Parts: sequence; C-alpha cells; structure tokens
Amino acid sequence: MGRGRARLATLILTGPAALLYLAFFVAPALLGFGYAFTNWNGWTKTPSFTGLANFKEMLHDERLLASIVFTLKETVGVVIAFTFGALILGVLLDRVRRLKGLVRALFFYPYILSILISGLLFQYLANYREGAINVVLRNLGLGSWTQDWMGDPKLVAYFIFALIVWSSVGFFSTLYLAALQSIPSELFEAAEIDGAKAVAVFWHIQAPLVRSTRNLCLMLSVIYGVNLFGQIVVTTQGGPGYRTSTIGYHIYWLGVLNNRQGYAASISLAVCIVLAAIAILQQRLVAGKNVSSL
Amino acid sequence: MLVRLHPSIALLLLLVLGCNSKSSSADGPKDKVIQVVRNIGGRAGFQKHANAWKAAFERANPGWRMEIIDLGNSDASESYKAKIASDDLPEIVQTWSFTPLLADGGYLVPIRDGFYDKYGITKPAPYKGKWYTSQSGTQIMGIAVNRDLCAKAGVTQPPATWGELTADLDKIKAAGIQPIAYGGKEWSAGQFLGYLLQMSLYSKPENPSWTKRRDSGAITFANDPNAKACIQAAIDFLTKYAQKGALSDGYNEEQRDFYGGKAAMWLMGCWIGGDIEPNKVAFNVDYWPIPSLNSGPPKFLACNLQNGWAVTTKAKGEALNKSFAVLDAFYQPDVYQLFVNAEAMFPQASKVAVSGPKSDWKPAQHLYDSMAANFKKYGGITGELIALDDQWPDSFGGTLTRVAQEILSGNTDQQKLLQMMDDDWDSARKAN
Repeated sequence: MGRGRARLATLILTGPAALLYLAFFVAPALLGFGYAFTNWNGWTKTPSFTGLANFKEMLHDERLLASIVFTLKETVGVVIAFTFGALILGVLLDRVRRLKGLVRALFFYPYILSILISGLLFQYLANYREGAINVVLRNLGLGSWTQDWMGDPKLVAYFIFALIVWSSVGFFSTLYLAALQSIPSELFEAAEIDGAKAVAVFWHIQAPLVRSTRNLCLMLSVIYGVNLFGQIVVTTQGGPGYRTSTIGYHIYWLGVLNNRQGYAASISLAVCIVLAAIAILQQRLVAGKNVSSL
Repeated sequence: MLVRLHPSIALLLLLVLGCNSKSSSADGPKDKVIQVVRNIGGRAGFQKHANAWKAAFERANPGWRMEIIDLGNSDASESYKAKIASDDLPEIVQTWSFTPLLADGGYLVPIRDGFYDKYGITKPAPYKGKWYTSQSGTQIMGIAVNRDLCAKAGVTQPPATWGELTADLDKIKAAGIQPIAYGGKEWSAGQFLGYLLQMSLYSKPENPSWTKRRDSGAITFANDPNAKACIQAAIDFLTKYAQKGALSDGYNEEQRDFYGGKAAMWLMGCWIGGDIEPNKVAFNVDYWPIPSLNSGPPKFLACNLQNGWAVTTKAKGEALNKSFAVLDAFYQPDVYQLFVNAEAMFPQASKVAVSGPKSDWKPAQHLYDSMAANFKKYGGITGELIALDDQWPDSFGGTLTRVAQEILSGNTDQQKLLQMMDDDWDSARKAN
C-alpha cells in the first residue's frame, strides 16, 4: 500500500472518531476552561469575565475543603481495595478449579450494572423502614441492631464505600486475573519442586510479575476515587447535610443546583490540573520499577 | 474542493443534513405544534387537566397540536438549562421561581396587553417593568390535619402560637399517635423550617424587607435573634417529633404516612388537596394556618408573584399567536376547574366561572372547604415571596433541607447551622 493510500485509510478510519471526540470532549472541556474565568449562571447568553475571582474564592471555600477531605478519605479506601484487595481476590479466583467461570462471573457481574442500578439497589438495602438489611435483622429478632445505614453520619461513608467496592472490585480483579494467567506455568512447577508454600509463591512469583498491572490499577483507582460522583448523586445527594459531598458532587451542586456554572468550571479546571499532576508524578515514580511480565 | 473533502467530514455533513431534513420535511405536523411544559409525574389530577387543556386548544385551533412535555418530578432548572444550551426551549414553559432567570436571559415574551383584564386576573407586580406569566391560581401553605387522629388526642382547634402547636403535638404523641408525617431525605424536609422562618422574619411588611437587609449585609442568620429562635425551634421540633430513620424517607413516605391515616399532621402546601381523591383518603382532613414563634397571629403563606406559564422567544410568527391561544385555552372553565382541583388552588381569574376546587370524593371536598373557610378566617402573608427581585435565592429551599438533615444527624449547634444558611445564601447570590 502506498504512503498516500495508507494515510487516506488512517484518516477514514480515525477521522469520524476524532471528530466526535473533538466535538463532545475537547470542545466542551475548552469551553469549560473558558467559563472558569466568568460568573456564568447557566441561564444567560453572555457570561461576564471575572478574571481570577473564582480561583480566589476557592481558597476560602470551606465546603469545597470538606468535599476534598471526604473525597480523599474515600479515595484512600478505594486505592487500597482496588490495588491490593483486588489482587488478593484475583489470586483466589485464579485458584478456583470448579465452576471457575461462574465464580468469576459472579464477581464481575456487578461491574456491568449501571451506577444508577447499583446505587438504587444499595439505597433500597439501606432503607430504615423497608430495606432488606433491617427487615432481615428484625426477622431474626435483632431489631435493636437496625440502623439508618445511609442516614447515620457515622455509617454512611462506609456504606458508600461498600457500594463502590461491590460494584467495581470485579473489574480490577479481572485485570489481575489476566496478568496472573500470563505467568508461565514452569515457574509454578519449579516453585512446587522447591517446596514453596502458597504465600511464598504469591510473594516471590505472582506479586512481582503483576507489577505493571498493579501500577495500572493504582492509577485507575486514584482517578476512580477522585471522580466519585454517580454513586453520590443516586444515593445520598451529598447528604445528610453536606457530609458525603465529593468534589464531583460539589461541582454539580454549584453548577447545576446553584446556578454557579462559572465557579463550578473553575473548580473543575483546578481538579483537572491536580489530577494531571498526580498522574505524571505517579508515572515518574513507577517508571523504571516495572518488571516486564515476560 | 468537494473531491478533497475529508470522508469523515462528508459523513458528518450527511448526518447533519439528514437530521435537518427530518425535522423540516414534515410540513404540517412539526410546524403546527406548540410544546408546553407541565410537571405531571404520577399525579392523576395533573394528567386529567393536561388532557383537557390540550383538547380545548386543539378544538379551538384546528390543524394545530399541543404537545405536553412532562417534566415528571425532575428538576426544572436542570431541564431548562439543558434546553437553553441546545436551543430547544419549548414555546411555553412553567416558570415557578425561574421567571427572573428566564426573563434576564432574554427567553420570555411579555404577556399581551389586556390578557389579565380578559380573565379578571389581579395584576401581579411587574418584573423590571414587565409582565410575562399567565397567573394560574393562588397557592396557600398551611398544615394538613387528620381530624380524627387529632380529636382522639383532644386537639380540635388550630394552635395560636408555635408553642401551642408543639403542646398539641406532645398530646398527640402521648396518645400513642405519630405526630407528624416527615421525611428528611428530599426537598420536603425543609418545608417546616421554611414555615418557621417566614412566619417569624416576614410576619409584617417591612421596608426594606428582611431579604433586602440580609442581601445588604445589615443582618445575617447568625446574628438575628429571630433566626436563632427559629433554628432552636427547628432543633426541638425534629428532635421530638421526627421518627427514627426519617433520613431514609422522602415525600412518598410522608404521603403514605399521612394518607394512610398514620400521622396526625403534615406541614405541607395546598397541592396535597389534589391527591386526596386519587389516594382514596377516607377520613376528613382539615387545613390549618401556620402559627408564629413571635406571638403574631397564625396565617397562611400565600403570594401573588408572577408565576404560571410563559411564552418563550422560541415562538415566532403564527406559532406566537397560537402560543397565546394555548394560554387562552387554559382559562376555558372546564379546563380551569380541573386545574384548581388538581392543585387545590384558589382561582385567580375572577371572570372565569370557577369558584374553587371541587370533588365528588367527600374527604377531598371537605379539605377544599376547610382551606377556603380557614383562609377567609385567618388570611395570609406573602412570606419571603415579596417580589421577583425580593425573595430568597433560588436554591435556598435546598439549604433548608440540608439544615434539617444536619439536625437529624445530631448536629444541634445553633451557630453552625445558622452559618450554613449564611454561607449558602452568599454563595447563591453570586449566581444572579
């Protein structure tokens, strides 16, 4: 194929996707960056330029600070669950010999449900009066154990965390599973001959050889945690009060519910810059430490 | 040159042309449709009214169709902003509190001269010198009371003060009856707090109003003794009368408790009257005025701001005339009767032969009669809805819900709760 024809083929194959990406991702993002320097309320046709006023306000926004703190707490949990918990689950799933397809599917299945369905399901489970958890407890004669699982400020963060882990740990463990299955069987056979126990096999063979997948999971889980939004909108709407407001929800609350699109856009821009910086830092930290998966 | 046009661009152009040709090819039907927003949701009364309105318009305007866009229970602000962004506002919108935002954005067509006179509607205050909205009816806010349950506890008359109200609720609770229908999950959580603040901060007309003084910084929630008293009353109210697990419940659960005959009182607006018949409520419901904290007489909250339906700038040429014809069809007596029935509102169009909401279902009619009699006896105040440029920030209702949730979560720190209200107020004002 000549160079011209190859170029044409590339353009034909990538052009439509590139155009759609430009129209629906790049252009809105650039517009959003522009709105970050205005006081646009979402209703008017012409937003007014306000310079850096939004960014100055951000420095004193206590509710934003509370959202950041809550998001970071959830993110720490998400990173631990999806980077290390999912690895352990992946190893266990790798060892399943009977009905392995079914068992793996059961763990992966929640991931294919939309956030809306998962959220509504957990909301139903958590309902004080009619939720499944409290109904079971009452039927077991444990009525005093019933709780307002999503209303009690001491419990709600854990319940949201449970929803996140239940809905997505299957995806991360499947990534690990794929990496684990690519490890040559000779290594396990050699370990068996040497009398290595399961923990030693995990520590000296499996864990080092899935390092690149672990780094991927680490990055994805940080992004997942910082971007927490859908689960909050469906279940708590940031409540009770503003106690479960994440950065994503705070942006939505400001922009959509409070008509402060300009200020919301400025927070989005700041989050985007911080996330990009974290991603670059993370990449630099793990670069060179990767062990090829063979 | 066309031959050098990138295939992907050509494809996109084809798609765009295809979409355009689809929307413009339908000669008659597409062009002869007036889209009208209505928040029907699952409300049978609203649906019945919408059907009658549509039929009346189409009967009077052959060849034209009226298409109802059902907002359901979704957030109108979100929906309107999305439609503005995609240049897809319907010809007629329900305005609620969005009249200033829509008018300032240049999306509304002023109502025609003589429109209010034609139907005997009292002219509301103008917004920046203009009138935009059809006035549908007068909504009143008060307290719905399960007459039988309250009587069992010896409560038979509207309380004169907030203190008397809580004493009544204590009696009801002592009789083993759930005092109030209340859920903390949704917007309805803040309704009672809105009542408290409005009855206490706006009990008599002041110039400048409490809202204007708050906007100028002359006063804040945190330093106003009346606001402090309100928040303390709210803390006491929820601590004593909200059910355990109230944060799991929303408006639907409130309805279930009240219409199911479980809860004695419900601090909710008159629109509940439209749900008595569809829910086959079999007991009598009275509607009482709201008592005040600062010893003023109990009153209903009622206002006459510009709200209802408005024609948007999307309507042009003949469609503009037909859009106003849609507003005219609204005041056909049979249509208007169904509207006031569904909303349990008092009619504002004195030249239309509709005297008030009516129902063959006796408990519903009892409630309508109770509303009318008590409104006549006690009267109303506008509360915070003084004028379109003199009212709470658009999102402040949401703040009251959050404050109520905080109290239910165990936060009884007056200053923190008041500060939360001040912070939200200041933030919301930056949006306008």
